[in-house]
Amino acid sequence: MNTSIPLLSIILFLPLAGAFLVTLFRSSGPKIANLVAVIFSFLSLITAIFLGIEGIGKGFSHIEEVNWIPSLGAAYRLGVDGISYIAVLLTTVLFMSSITFSTKTIGRKSEYMALFLLLETACLGVFMSLDLLLFYVFFEITLVGMYFIIAGWGHGNAKKAALMFFIYTLVGSLALLLALLGLYLNTDPHSFDMRVIIANPPTGWIGMAIFWGLLIAFAIKTPLFPFHSWLPLAHTKAPAAGSAILAGILLKLGAYGFIRFMLQMTPEAFRQYAWVVIIIAVISVIYGALVAMAQTDIKRMVAYTSINHMGYLAFGVAIAALQYDDSGVSALDGASLQIFSHGIVTGLLFLLCGSIQDRATTREMPALKGLLKAYPLLSGFFVLAASASLGLPGLAHFPAEFQIFLGGYAIYPWAVGVMLLGLVITSALYLRAIQGSFMGPMDSSVLKKMQDLNTSELLAFIPLIILIIMVGIFPDTILSFIHETTKAFMP
Amino acid sequence: MIKDLLSILPQIIVLLTAMASLIFEMLRKASGSLITLIIGLAGASGLAISRLGTVGTAFSKTFRIDDLSLWAVIILCGTGILSALLMRQELKGTNREGTLYSLVAFSTLGSLLLAGSGDLMFLVLGVLINSLGGFAMAAYPKTDKATEGAIKYFVYGSVTGAVMLFGLTYWVGITGTTFIKDLTGITSQAFVLLIGFGGLITGLGYAASLFPFHFWTPDTFEGAPVSVAAFLSVTPKIGAFFALAQVMKDLPPLLDWNLILGILAVLSMTFGNIVALWQKNMLRLMAYSTVAQAGYFLLGIVAINQSGLALSGLIIFSLAYAAMNIGAFAVIQRTGNNIIYFEGLARKRPFMAVAMLVFLLSLVGIPPLAGFAGKFLLFGSAMDAGYTWLAVAAILNSVISLAVYLRIIFPMFYRKEPIYSFPTSGIITSVFTVCFIVTVLVGILLRFLV
Repeated sequence: MNTSIPLLSIILFLPLAGAFLVTLFRSSGPKIANLVAVIFSFLSLITAIFLGIEGIGKGFSHIEEVNWIPSLGAAYRLGVDGISYIAVLLTTVLFMSSITFSTKTIGRKSEYMALFLLLETACLGVFMSLDLLLFYVFFEITLVGMYFIIAGWGHGNAKKAALMFFIYTLVGSLALLLALLGLYLNTDPHSFDMRVIIANPPTGWIGMAIFWGLLIAFAIKTPLFPFHSWLPLAHTKAPAAGSAILAGILLKLGAYGFIRFMLQMTPEAFRQYAWVVIIIAVISVIYGALVAMAQTDIKRMVAYTSINHMGYLAFGVAIAALQYDDSGVSALDGASLQIFSHGIVTGLLFLLCGSIQDRATTREMPALKGLLKAYPLLSGFFVLAASASLGLPGLAHFPAEFQIFLGGYAIYPWAVGVMLLGLVITSALYLRAIQGSFMGPMDSSVLKKMQDLNTSELLAFIPLIILIIMVGIFPDTILSFIHETTKAFMP
Repeated sequence: MIKDLLSILPQIIVLLTAMASLIFEMLRKASGSLITLIIGLAGASGLAISRLGTVGTAFSKTFRIDDLSLWAVIILCGTGILSALLMRQELKGTNREGTLYSLVAFSTLGSLLLAGSGDLMFLVLGVLINSLGGFAMAAYPKTDKATEGAIKYFVYGSVTGAVMLFGLTYWVGITGTTFIKDLTGITSQAFVLLIGFGGLITGLGYAASLFPFHFWTPDTFEGAPVSVAAFLSVTPKIGAFFALAQVMKDLPPLLDWNLILGILAVLSMTFGNIVALWQKNMLRLMAYSTVAQAGYFLLGIVAINQSGLALSGLIIFSLAYAAMNIGAFAVIQRTGNNIIYFEGLARKRPFMAVAMLVFLLSLVGIPPLAGFAGKFLLFGSAMDAGYTWLAVAAILNSVISLAVYLRIIFPMFYRKEPIYSFPTSGIITSVFTVCFIVTVLVGILLRFLV
C-alpha cells in the first residue's frame, strides 16, 4: 500500500511552496497571487484525493519518518489513518474554496494569500503528525496565522478580537504543551512517537492529570461551554474566508484532539470522567442553540450554532470512550463524520455570510428582507446549507448526528433526549432566519448591489454543495474510511 | 602547566584579543581594533566548537572545561562580535571608539570565567571583570542619562558585589578551601550554607538582572547606547546563569535550594512581564523583558541535578536568547527607542518587520523558533524534576509575555501609513539577518545541537 513517493509531505508542503512563490512574486500584482494560491491549493487537494484512492487502511499508513532530535526521541513523523485522512481531505477542500472565494474581494492580496497557504500547511501538519512535538509546532503555527488574518483583514475593531483569540487559545495550547510533556516523560524510554504512546497509554493519576490538561486545551479549541467566549467575537470580526477556516478547520483541531489524544492516549481517565465531557457537551448543545436563537447578526448566529454542533461531536467521542462495542463504534463514526460535515456546511455558511455582507450594508437579520428575490442563487445555496446545518435527512449533518444519537441512546437516553431539543431549536432558528431574511418582499434600501453570485464565488461554493449532498445521500463514501479505523479502536 | 594553558586556550585568546584591540586604540586605529576583535572572538569560538564534548578541569580544578564553559565561548563570542558591529554603526567616529571593542572583549572574558568557575574566587573575579567593562561602556556617550545609568549600574554592582563576597567567605570558612567541589562534603550547618547562597544569588542575580536585583537594568539600558544595552542584556546574564549552574551541581541538598530558586523564577517572570506591559520606551520594555526571561533560565538551573534535559535546555535557551535579543535590539537601534516608531514598519521595511516579528514570537516561545526549542526543553526539565508548578507558572507567563510583544507586533503590520522613515544600514541589516537565521534554524536543526 505504501508507495515510495512521500505523498503526505507533498500534500503538506505544496501550500507552503505556494506561499513562498506568492511572496517571491508579490510585486507582480494580485492576479499572480490569486493564480498561484488557487493552483497550489488545488494541487494539494488532488494529491489528497489520490492518496485516498491509493487506500488508507485501518491503522496509520503512508508513514514517513526522518530523525529530528534523536536524543529526545522526536522525529518528523507523518502518517494518516481513516480519521486523519478525512480531516486532511476536508482541509484541502475548504482551503481551496476559501482561497477561490477570496480572489475577488480582499485587499493586500499577496500577503493574504501567503498567510492562507501557510495556514493550510499548518492545519494539514496537525492532522498528519504522528509526533507530539511536531503536532505542537503545527498547532501553534495555526494560531499565529489566524491571528494575522483576523487582525489584518477583519472588520471593525479587529485588533481586540484577534488579541482575545490569540491569548485565549494560547492558554489552551500551553495547557496542551504541559500535557504533551507529561505524555513524553511518562513513556519509557521517553518518546514523542504517538504510536508508542497509543500502544502504552499512561494510567493512574498521571493519566488523569494529562487527561485534564488535554481536556482544557481541546475544550477551548473546539470550543465547548464554558470555554467558548472567544469564538463569537473572533467570528464577527474575521473576514468571511477567515471565519470559514476558523469554524471549518481550526475548531476541528480540537475535535481531532478529543479523538486522537484523549480517546487514544488517556482512555482510562476518559472512561472515568466521560460523564464530565457528556455534561458539558449537552450544555454546549442547548446553550449554543439557545444563544444562536437570540442573535440578530446572521454571522454571529452561525458562529453560535458551531458550539451546538461541536457539542454533539464531543458527546459522540465520550460515548466511544465509555462503550467498547458497536454503539461506541457507531458514536465514534458519527463524531468523525461530524468533523467533515460541520467543516463543509459551516464553511459554506460563513462564505455565504461573506457574500451577503459584500452585497448588503448590514448583517442584521431584521433589516435584511427578501434576499431570495434579489439574489436567487445565493439565497438558494444558503437555504440548502442551513437545512444541512439543522440536520435535514439527505444532507451532510444527518448521517453524522444520527449515528451519534444511535450510539448514545444505548447508555445515555436522557442525554440524547435533551440533545434532540437542541435539534429542534436549531431548526427553529434557521427557519426563522430563512423566513425573515430570505422570503417575503425585497427591501432594496439595505442592498448595495443587485448582482447575484459571480464566477469565483460559484467556483468556491459548488464543490462544497456537491459534497454536502453527496455525504447526505451516500455517507459511505466518507464513512468507509472512518469505519475501517474506528473498528480497530475497539478491542 | 602547558596542558592547563592549552585547555583554556579559548579564554586566553579572548584575553589577548582584548589587549591587542587596546593597542590598536592607542594607535588611534578604531577599525583595526574592531577587526582584531572580530578575528579574535571568531577564532576563540571556532576553537571551542572543535572542542565540544571535552570534559575536564584546568589549574588544579579551579576552572572547569565542560559543555557549559565551551558553549559559553561559542555563544558569547558570537554575541560580542554582533554587538561590536552594532556599536560600530552607532558610535563610529566618536572619540576613543576603539576602547569599546577592547571593553567588549574584557567583559566577555569575565562572563567566560563565570561560566567555567570551579572556584569561588572565579565567581567574584568573573562578576567584577564582566561588570567593570559594562560600567565604562554604559557611560561611554557621557550624556547625563548615560552617566546616570552607568552610576546606577556601578553602585548596585558595588553593593551586591560586597554582599556576594561577604556571603562567600562563609563558604570558605566551613570548607576551608575555595573549591566549589568541596561544598559537596558539607553535611551540617545549613544556615551557614544559606548565608553563602544568599550572597551568591545577590551577586549573580545582579549580573543576570534577576528580580529583585534588577533595579539598574531599565535605567542603564535607557541611558546607554542601544548597542551597549544589547550587549549588557546578554553577556552578563548568560555568564551568571552558567556560573550558578556550576555551583548548583555541587551544593549539598541541606536546604531546598530549588524552592528558593523556583520562587525567584516565578517572581522574576511575573514581575518582568507585567511591568513590561506598561512601557512605552522600547529599551525599558526590553529591559523588563530580560528580567522576565531571566526567570526562564532559572528553570533549567532548578532541574540541573535531576533532569537530563536541563543542561541542553539551558544551553539552547542561551543560544536562542542571545540571537533573539541581539536581533531585537538591532532593529530597535535602527527604528529608535519609542514604541510609536514601529507603526507601519512592515510597509516601509518588510524584511525588518518580519525579522522583528520572528524575534518577538521567539521570545514568547512560539514554535518552531529558537525560543520555543529552549523553553520547551526547560519546561520539560522542570517537569521531569518534579516541579510541575514551576512549569505551569512559566507557561502562564508566556501568555502574559504574548500581550507584551503583541503591542509591538500589531502596529508594525496594521497601521496603514508609516509615519517615520529609516535610512538603511548595511551593518544593522547583516546583524539582524544573522540573528534571524539563527532564530529560525536552531529549532529545526536541534538534532545537531542536543
